[in-house]
This record gives sequence, structure tokens and C-alpha cells, in this order.
Amino acid sequence: MKYILMMNTMKAGQGMPNWAGKDLQAHIAFMMNLNKDLGDSGELVSAEGLSFPDQAKLVRAGKNGVPITDGVFPESKEFLAGFWIVDVDTPERAYAIAARASAAPGPGGAPLNIPIEVRAVMSAPPPEMM
Amino acid sequence: MKYILLMSGTKGGVDHYQAWTQKDIQAHMAVLHNINKRLSESGEFVATQGLAGPKEAKVVRGEKNGIPVTDGVFPESKEFLLGYWIVDVATAERAYAIAGQISAAPGPGGVSTNMPIEVRQFATFEQSELR
Repeated sequence: MKYILMMNTMKAGQGMPNWAGKDLQAHIAFMMNLNKDLGDSGELVSAEGLSFPDQAKLVRAGKNGVPITDGVFPESKEFLAGFWIVDVDTPERAYAIAARASAAPGPGGAPLNIPIEVRAVMSAPPPEMM
Repeated sequence: MKYILLMSGTKGGVDHYQAWTQKDIQAHMAVLHNINKRLSESGEFVATQGLAGPKEAKVVRGEKNGIPVTDGVFPESKEFLLGYWIVDVATAERAYAIAGQISAAPGPGGVSTNMPIEVRQFATFEQSELR
């Protein structure tokens, strides 16, 4: 079963762009180690980090098909910071991986305890919808 | 450059979608399939996924001893990711144009849903100073 593990942040994020280099390196090392373990166990499908929210755009279709872009978001909006897709036997295993990602170190090495949203990925739309 | 196009909606929006007629759903899916097909032909398609509904969503935090703590209660206003496309395009404008096509997919009665699509670039090592 495939699950997506989503790490969301507010616009200000966890202040990550302002972290000390050492803290950032420890965080990245933790994430790379997690990805390596998931790769070794055959559970990693993909993992990506997204650029910061200041570059995000919201796009709607205009009447003539011309895209209308907007870059202004409510302060409370959650932004996807990054995600993992894992292929695991049980939802509990997906939760365990999410808990590990949640414990990634932040400033001073303290665990961030970031909430990780866990969602099943659908394989394909039901035939009657095709 | 890789971009992810995120289609999000609230729990209420998903309930609304589930009440669409089969004909409307088929017309909607046909347009999305056609977009996917053209992206494959142009070599810009990387991946697309739909997600299971918000009812099954969990938020997980790690406790001190590493035991996962799960929570399935969300504020009504929370936006849930419904699905996404990953595209590999030459410019940001091209990513916006594709997002515009997705936003224009038909809803009930063939009227465009005009859903907002969030467009985000994947981080590069330079951007996030990973090394």
C-alpha cells in the first residue's frame, strides 16, 4: 500500500532559512539517513523537498484559458514543505516512518516534533469514472 | 525545472464532488486524462497521483520514545491535498499554463471548476543550502 507523508509548515516555516549552518546540516543528515534506511528496506518510492512558500503561486483558469496567477496567501495557510511516498505493508508502518520524520532535529538539535500528514495514495480511479 | 501542481480542497468540497453525477465525473476525468496524455507526448510528464479522501487522513507526531501519536481530527477549514501532478518544464510560465488547463476541467453541468492549483518548484540543492 502506498502512502504519502506530508510535512506542512506555515509561511514562516520553522524559520528554517535562518537556522545556523550546523543545525541545518544535522537536519539534512537526519533526513538523508531516513531516506537511506527506507531505500534499503525497499519502502521508498520518492522523496522531494519543495522550494520555500515565497515562490508559491496559485493558478486559476481564465475564461479564454489564460492562467491567472496569484501569490498572496492567508497567514494561516499551510504549505507543503516536502513529502515522502512509501510503499508499506500496513498503515501502522507508515505512521512509524512519519513519527521518525517528525523527530528530525531543529535548532540546537532538539526534535522538531513537526506534524506529518499521512494519506493513502490511490492506485487508479475506479473503472466507472474512466 | 520540476514543478508540483497541487490540487487541494476542504472536506466539504470533497463531499460535494462525491455528489456529482457519473456523467459529470466522467467528463471531468476525460479532460484530466487528456491533459496527462498531452504532457506525456511533450515529455513534460513526471508523475500524477490522486489521494484517498480526507476521512482517512492522519496527522502523526513522534513521541519521545519514537512511538507514533496519530490524530484524525482536523479543523473544518483545513485544506486537504486531493491530488497532484509533477511536471518537468522549461519555464515557470509553462507550469502555470498547465495548472490553468487543470483548473479549467469541467465540473457539474460541464461548467469549469475553476479550482485553484498551487504551483511549487522543487527545491534544488543551491536553493536550500543542503550541502
